[in-house]
Amino acid sequence: MPPAGHRPLDPSLPPSTEVDNDDRAPYTPGSSSSLSSSSLYKHLRTPSTSSLNIRHPVDLRAITYDGAVDENLVCPICRCPLVDPVLTECDHIFCRACITDALSNTKLCPIDRSPLDSDGVSRAPKMVHNQLDSLKAKCPCCASSFARSMLENHVEKYCPEANVKCPGIYSEKYCKEVVKRRMSGRGCLHYPVECPDCKETLLLVEMEEHREASCNEKLKACEHCGVNILRCKESEHHEECPDVIRPCNWAEYGCQHEAKRTDLHLHADECSFKLVGPMADTLKKEIKLLRSDMRSLAETNHLQERRIKFLESAQRASDRPMELMDLSLANLPESANTEPLDSGHEYLLSLLESQQSRLSQLSNELTDFQGKNTMMLLNETIPIKNELSELRSTQQVTCMHVRWLMRFRMQENQRRFGGSPGPGPSGSPDGGGSSSDLPFSRRLSDSAPRDIITKL
Amino acid sequence: MVLTRLQELAEVTTSPPAGIHVSLVDDNNVHNWNIVMDGPEGSPYAGGKFKLLLVLPTDYPFKPPKINFKTRIWHPNVTFDEHGSMCIGILKPEAWKPSSKILSVLTATQNLLLEPVPDDAVETTAANSFKEDLAGFNKTAKEYTKKYAK
Repeated sequence: MPPAGHRPLDPSLPPSTEVDNDDRAPYTPGSSSSLSSSSLYKHLRTPSTSSLNIRHPVDLRAITYDGAVDENLVCPICRCPLVDPVLTECDHIFCRACITDALSNTKLCPIDRSPLDSDGVSRAPKMVHNQLDSLKAKCPCCASSFARSMLENHVEKYCPEANVKCPGIYSEKYCKEVVKRRMSGRGCLHYPVECPDCKETLLLVEMEEHREASCNEKLKACEHCGVNILRCKESEHHEECPDVIRPCNWAEYGCQHEAKRTDLHLHADECSFKLVGPMADTLKKEIKLLRSDMRSLAETNHLQERRIKFLESAQRASDRPMELMDLSLANLPESANTEPLDSGHEYLLSLLESQQSRLSQLSNELTDFQGKNTMMLLNETIPIKNELSELRSTQQVTCMHVRWLMRFRMQENQRRFGGSPGPGPSGSPDGGGSSSDLPFSRRLSDSAPRDIITKL
Repeated sequence: MVLTRLQELAEVTTSPPAGIHVSLVDDNNVHNWNIVMDGPEGSPYAGGKFKLLLVLPTDYPFKPPKINFKTRIWHPNVTFDEHGSMCIGILKPEAWKPSSKILSVLTATQNLLLEPVPDDAVETTAANSFKEDLAGFNKTAKEYTKKYAK
């Protein structure tokens, strides 16, 4: 077990609060600081990574380019790919800095020696700039390749090997040192610790390199195989050392056998678990697979439940009365928002679905409504028609009555007036009878059956 | 600026022109270069190895480099003394261009050994001998090559 001081050196260890506490210990007298101050401390100790960035002006003349650079993109003065290229009156391209220097010596073009002034120099065409910007160059820190124009940004913001401010600058320590970006997540590493191998005292930030390269005690014979190994890589070596005692492959299922890594295969043939082991392994795999399947199914189930819930709520909204329909449609996105959905796609999909169902509902309702309307119309009109025919018949009856009464009255009148001027009722019955007989008989022939009906 | 043109040094040291070998006098100083030049075949200097010192001025490439023969040489354009000053067109301040390369300076020097320019001479005795008695000049040059350029 390595001492606590060198634990942050292990690159596999994520920068955790525990590590932070470890770092802090050396320069906080009495690590039993009160809770409030330690939480304040923690706030100070975790600055955003961007706040640690340092401006890194990259010297474009000092970097290495991938492959050979086109001779036409090389400045004839500094012999480097052009930096801020300018075009002279005589059609030659140089770096701005180079031609300025050259013109301060002599006012001649460095190539054709034609008279040239600083006024005769202008920015080179965009295409030249673009070609230069797209040149692939190696990062001066981490040696990976980028387009030249991206290099400065990479070094300033992303390169793991570039220097950044020590996070300690935001702590009580106000550490002014710089540190490589990949180490900046572990808090300030600028305090002395003792090398666990040679007992030399060094800053923690230098320890990793020291133990790997310069430490006098860096090598150690492996206790198992005897080969010299780096002390700091000991645990990694043990993972592959051929002479380390290892348990049988099936130790998990109960085999007690142990042997050197190289000899373990001899045991494999005679191990009593050699049949059960693989089976258990396959079963284990199967179980794992099934579990993951189950998990994914549960997830989909959960999703679908959510969708159903959403659809139900949409349905409820669409059941509102007709005059509110427009309003509810307008409200729909809000109601959808209340249902938390996993992604934007899903949200849109559900929205679409709800709209579709709403549409079909509306069309259904429309046909229903139409049917209802026709039924209502029919129901209303039939009794009206009946009444109308009834009224018509009664009116005819009354008409008949009136006519009959009129005739009766006329006959009465005729008899009365006809009797006084005429000789008597004996004479008049002939004339009157003949005159009244005719309409009477006509009326009989006209409406005898109806007469009978009314009399009945 | 000298440093940015260091690739020139890399260029001539890794793939030098035939018969030329370049190294730094002092690894910490990029301004002084040691050059060993084989006497070109077809010249009276063939078989000799001539040491030259090339000095880059601080404002190189805006000022020309200086080349001196450290090995004595009988040549119309090189002084026959301990300085070994050479007169060559490309290195004259008015003729120098910042875009010129060391490589072209070295090949120009080689060419000068092959074809002396007696009209531009600094060693007048050698120049006169070259113009009036070529055989005698060649003989003397060969003798001095044998004597000094070993």
